Amino acid sequence: MGNFIKDRKPQDDPWTPYTGLEDVDNLPTGDVYVPFEEWQSQKEALKLRNNRLGVILENTDDVAELVPDFDRLDLVVLQFPKMADGRAFTQAKLLRERYGYTGEIRAVGDVLHDQVFYMQRCGFNAFEMRPDQDIPTVLHAFDEMTVTYQPSADEELPIWRR
Amino acid sequence: MYQYSQDDHQLLQERVSQFRDQVSRRLKGDLSEDEFKQQRLRNGLYLQLHAYMLRVAVPYGLLSSEQMRTLAHIARTYDRGYGHFSTRQNIQYNWPKLEDVPKILDDLAAVEMHAIQTSGNCIRNTTSDPLAGVARDEIADPRPYCELIRQWSTFHPEFNFLPRKFKIAVSGAIHDRAAVAVHDIGIRLIKKDAGELGLEIYVGGGLGRTPMIGKLIRDFLPPHDMLTYLEAILRVYNKLGRRDNLYKARIKILVHETGEEKFRELVEAEWQEVKESKLRLRDEDIKNIQAHFKDPDYENLSDFDSDFDKELISDPDFAKWADNNLELHKQDGYRVVYLSLKSKNQPTGDVTADQMDAIADLADKYSHGAIRSTHRQNLVLSDVRLKDLHSLWGELKTLDLATPNYNHLTDIISCPGMDYCALATARSIPIAQALTERFDTYDYVNDLGDISLNISGCINACGHHHVANIGILGVNKKGVEVYQITLGGSAREDASIGKIIGPAFTADKIVQAIADLLDVYLENREDPEETFLTAYRRLGPAPFKEKLYG
Amino acid sequence: MTLQVYTASLLKEGLVAYLCIDTEGSYWSTDLNKAATAETDQAETLKSLAEQAERENIVIAAYAVDVELTENGTRPLENRERIRAYGPTITLPQSSDTKQAIVRAA
Repeated sequence: MGNFIKDRKPQDDPWTPYTGLEDVDNLPTGDVYVPFEEWQSQKEALKLRNNRLGVILENTDDVAELVPDFDRLDLVVLQFPKMADGRAFTQAKLLRERYGYTGEIRAVGDVLHDQVFYMQRCGFNAFEMRPDQDIPTVLHAFDEMTVTYQPSADEELPIWRR
Repeated sequence: MYQYSQDDHQLLQERVSQFRDQVSRRLKGDLSEDEFKQQRLRNGLYLQLHAYMLRVAVPYGLLSSEQMRTLAHIARTYDRGYGHFSTRQNIQYNWPKLEDVPKILDDLAAVEMHAIQTSGNCIRNTTSDPLAGVARDEIADPRPYCELIRQWSTFHPEFNFLPRKFKIAVSGAIHDRAAVAVHDIGIRLIKKDAGELGLEIYVGGGLGRTPMIGKLIRDFLPPHDMLTYLEAILRVYNKLGRRDNLYKARIKILVHETGEEKFRELVEAEWQEVKESKLRLRDEDIKNIQAHFKDPDYENLSDFDSDFDKELISDPDFAKWADNNLELHKQDGYRVVYLSLKSKNQPTGDVTADQMDAIADLADKYSHGAIRSTHRQNLVLSDVRLKDLHSLWGELKTLDLATPNYNHLTDIISCPGMDYCALATARSIPIAQALTERFDTYDYVNDLGDISLNISGCINACGHHHVANIGILGVNKKGVEVYQITLGGSAREDASIGKIIGPAFTADKIVQAIADLLDVYLENREDPEETFLTAYRRLGPAPFKEKLYG
Repeated sequence: MTLQVYTASLLKEGLVAYLCIDTEGSYWSTDLNKAATAETDQAETLKSLAEQAERENIVIAAYAVDVELTENGTRPLENRERIRAYGPTITLPQSSDTKQAIVRAA
């Protein structure tokens, strides 16, 4: 077990990233996720596979473009190139709240203890923690705060309407 | 004022525990300084020139006497016996130890206070009119809207790692006492002729190295749509705000580079998606929050008090103070009292623990236990009876809080400058003190009338020099502190950015330069009613330039 | 060639401190006059000791400061560093019963 947390539990990660260098024919077996660009250019071929499929977005990509393929996408990977870059929070929130995506939303990159609380509120349910993070401690971070004010992916109403 | 619910209390306690854990992880070495910095800043903790600095939120400038006493206790117990009120109505402590900060936060939480989001690239403490709820020129009370914004923005999961800091100000009166034009979002409550209430939404104001006046992007937003509209603006900003250059990351640059029209379209398009969401305020949501801001039990009094009138005549010093440091109140028989934090004996905005305790006592005795902090770094007792003014003034005088200079030349806004600040390139406080010393004559200052003079110790402009009638910016020129003058700025409803008048002055020449500028005004004004700003706008920079540089 | 000392902020207290060396080894003091000085080209040892102290979470944000030796002690060349070393140049507000010491290394 490494640095992967899903649904608040440390887990093995069944997914393999596909870097885009191989041919579609030579893809590794099992569940793979591919860059957004590859997805757009080769999704018809990819969809013929019998395994689960995922896509990894840049934090400048528009999540709305994934909507037509939701039924074939089991995973959307969103990136935090550095801790302070919070664009993927908006991407996750739109995927869950506006477009109703129900598959796995995963955070990768500078994914740290003190952000997972906010990430889960925006709809992330899987986290590739940066290797130096202490997983048992991180698991507490999901519950550090129990009071929330805003409606978000985890809460339908603002506090003044509950 | 707003009374905390059980949930609000629990949130603060959880936040203190979380921060205590972050401090302990930092001290153990589990958190690097770079990463801890992101966390401590989100809790108002900076590392300044000499020590840590803790910025405590004063939500939209409202303080109870009990809270003020806690602030005094913190100053004595964990700091060096004083605090500093900032232009965003918050209070800063200059000497706390890192290991004491969780204890300070415990003490604050006990009186419904905190340091949440007083720094960092997130939505900061909302500021407002220090006369909210009592001003005679008020259209609608901004405080309930500020409180709704506080709840919406506190730990907003999507907007806690924005491209840059984000400041919101709300004003509900005809006169703008909250500088809404120089905030990332400025909100003004207005009424249509038929009496219908709405919001003007300004976006992209700000100071710093690229000062800009906010653009009006919505001229009449129904109040029920306030939070959905803010959510739309913030989402556009979080997606598109620049992250490649720290100095171009504020929303003002996004608005400027995108163009006002296009930016408005982006916001409106996003708003169409969220306007019917659960964030849309219902009548009862607004009413429930408004219920927290009821008037105190005012007595039925006349707006004329014969004792007060006699005191004005018999005590000329009292009359001078009453002339300058009082404001009309919506309730007859009451006045708003400005406590000047601009004495010549203490740095701008600084208050000692002893003064804080005494102010708390005065608030209990004379003003229903309520205190407000102001954008211009003063304090306010908002509900004082006419008949109590003379005794209150007597007590304020002994506390050195009765300098009769509100909105006058020596009511100087000043950042802490290089005496405290790690970013500053020049000192501000000594310049403010030199000016206060030089212009210590009541008659002269009073004759100058309404004027603003603000000082910043670096280009980041925390002293708001751009929006002062006379602005002073300290910079470092080859190891020497020099001071540049800007003229013609205003932070009010006629907001404008001042223009640099010419080459900078050294510290020993700047006071005389200001005196010369004031002479030009006095010699050229049409009559004593014409303010410095009006005269400057009429005359242009030429006569001022001529006087300074020949 | 300029004489240098190493300065940083103490992690726990936040106060300004200077790297000092005695027979026991290196330590940090708020007293600039105790600071170890070195010519710019010989400041490598000081630099590595300062960096080590950062790694050990004793201090944060260490850097070199140009100084001169005067009859009153070590004096930073730049105004900003003099203010850091000697404290604010203004009279600080005073209150009764303040627990934290107001003394600063002079």
